[in-house]
Amino acid sequence: MKVTLKNIGKKYEGREEFTIRNIDLEIQDKDFCVILGPSGCGKTTLLRMIAGLNSVTEGDILFNDRRINTVSPKDRDIAMVFQSYALYPHMTVYDNMAFSLAMRKERKKVIDDRVKEAAESLQMTEYLYSKPSDISGGQRQRVALGRAMVRKPRVFLMDEPLSNLDAKLREHMRVELVRLHKRLATTTIYVTHDQTEAMTMASLIVLMNDGIIQQAGKPEELYNKPENIFVAKFIGSPTMNIIEGSMENGRFKSTDGIISIGPSDIDMKSLSLYEGKNVSVGIRPERFESGDHHLDKFDCTIDVVEMLGKEKIIYARLDNDYELVISTPGHYEYIEGERHSFGFDIDALHFFDSDTGIRIN
Amino acid sequence: MKLFKRKNKDDLYLSDKQPLNFAGKINLSLIYIVLISWSIVIIWPLYQMVVSAFNGRQGQYLRLNDVFEFSLEHFHYLFSETLYLTWVKNTIIIAVTTAVLTLIIVSFTGYAYSRYRFKGRKASLMAIMLIQTIPSFAGITAYFTIHSIVSDLVPMFSRQMMLILIYTGGSIASNTFILKGYIDSISPELDDAAKIDGCSNLQIYRLIIMPIARPMLAIIALWSFIGPFMDYLLPRVLLTSPQSYTLAAGLFTLINDFRTINQPAFAAGGLLTAIPIVILFISLRKQLVSGLAQGSVKG
Repeated sequence: MKVTLKNIGKKYEGREEFTIRNIDLEIQDKDFCVILGPSGCGKTTLLRMIAGLNSVTEGDILFNDRRINTVSPKDRDIAMVFQSYALYPHMTVYDNMAFSLAMRKERKKVIDDRVKEAAESLQMTEYLYSKPSDISGGQRQRVALGRAMVRKPRVFLMDEPLSNLDAKLREHMRVELVRLHKRLATTTIYVTHDQTEAMTMASLIVLMNDGIIQQAGKPEELYNKPENIFVAKFIGSPTMNIIEGSMENGRFKSTDGIISIGPSDIDMKSLSLYEGKNVSVGIRPERFESGDHHLDKFDCTIDVVEMLGKEKIIYARLDNDYELVISTPGHYEYIEGERHSFGFDIDALHFFDSDTGIRIN
Repeated sequence: MKLFKRKNKDDLYLSDKQPLNFAGKINLSLIYIVLISWSIVIIWPLYQMVVSAFNGRQGQYLRLNDVFEFSLEHFHYLFSETLYLTWVKNTIIIAVTTAVLTLIIVSFTGYAYSRYRFKGRKASLMAIMLIQTIPSFAGITAYFTIHSIVSDLVPMFSRQMMLILIYTGGSIASNTFILKGYIDSISPELDDAAKIDGCSNLQIYRLIIMPIARPMLAIIALWSFIGPFMDYLLPRVLLTSPQSYTLAAGLFTLINDFRTINQPAFAAGGLLTAIPIVILFISLRKQLVSGLAQGSVKG
């Protein structure tokens, strides 16, 4: 089902400001849409509005082409997985999963089939008659998923469903969720603050901050062409390096003059308007290069080396104490305290207007 | 025997507390002395009551340290010469109605205060808390007025019904507080999940919240059930004929009225009074224990 948000705004009772405002978004059928953002950016509010748990202050929510602003949650044909799973503690796993169908007065046989089917696909069959308190966190998470699945809803809503799991299980469930999404072929809207989850699972990422959408697009779009400095810094780990400076004679010069870069010809076209103005350049940690053939090199002192196995994260200090994060393959040797010079991959530079934070190239 | 075995040298010291030193031991024995004498103070009268109730040698007045001779004559007296069974019936009707009414009303108020935001929510909660501090007996003139007005309009409205209203009204305030606190500790995400699953507000309470809050509801039911058994003052003042007395008021006529005095029968009646409460307590035991334990953590 296609979900369309038209100029959505939400103001809570007793608050001065709108929590979210001017949200325009189109989620296509079968999309895996991840709403991403730091805590307090309004992403959960948005999800709860789609679910019908919060009212819509202004704008319209459309499912396909039906306006559902005032439709009650149970009639929206949605299912939601909560952060705390929200399993009913006094019911068995079976009853938890059957509850929504039972509330709809579905026939016993149908309920039984659906529950068994969901339990099987989640490998929960042997726990069907345990209480939620008797099973582990990962299993509870599956029950919560199963409860949503038996409804066969047209939209899946998930509110940080993986945040209570340990790292290993989370990685596993990430893949499971994507598989599930593909198999069920429904629209999924998933809320998280974890950019790794967003990058790995989404077919559409909606990055929010301060109650507005910063950028919406495919994961690679957000990674390779961030529309502003916030997006650039939020997506990617380790964080993108941002160097402030200005354009002088067709070259980027950092504020203290240590770094000077000659942009590529393509970038130059859009940068020519910014001659003499304040510009920030962003570069991903993995896009630094060492080697003699690079033109615009800079010297730095290697401060800390983090060994992650497949890569090393280097925290390097420039002469003015500014810190750059550089990622290199794990088998390269770096010694803490050593002087080193790095160059830039000039095709991978992101230029931003320092005053507005908006992307230039 | 286990107590002495523990002193074996080979045994490991498993307690998490530090071993007691001399002062600690003295302290501990003092505490035990206080606790034991306290229990004696409580148990001795109860023991005397039980013994006298079965002692055929007791006359109209209780005498302690009398010769014991087993007999059921006081029970016999209670059932044949007094209105004991009527009192039991009255009390149980009043107690059950009070408990049921309290549960229903408190369910609504507790749930509403916990889950809904409305104008005057805080103010009314404060008001409830303050009203609690006034003893219900303080309103005795108001009760008479209310009763005479209502019974003029509805002749059915008896003094006993008035009593039920007073008990229920009195227990609503504090129990609303208790239940609100308990429901507050239940995650509101459960409500949301139930809403999406297709529950109406009333169904959310009935199918989700109420089963989870059952321990607390059991305690509330027990308290409001016991209340009418314990209270003497209000029934004594409000109820006029011995026919309509509750147990407490009825039994009291056996020890303070020289025309009807029979103290051993009073003891026997008191003993029997405990039975309905014990039955209720045993049937609610499972819920009560978990409720008490949880209440202690969550306040």
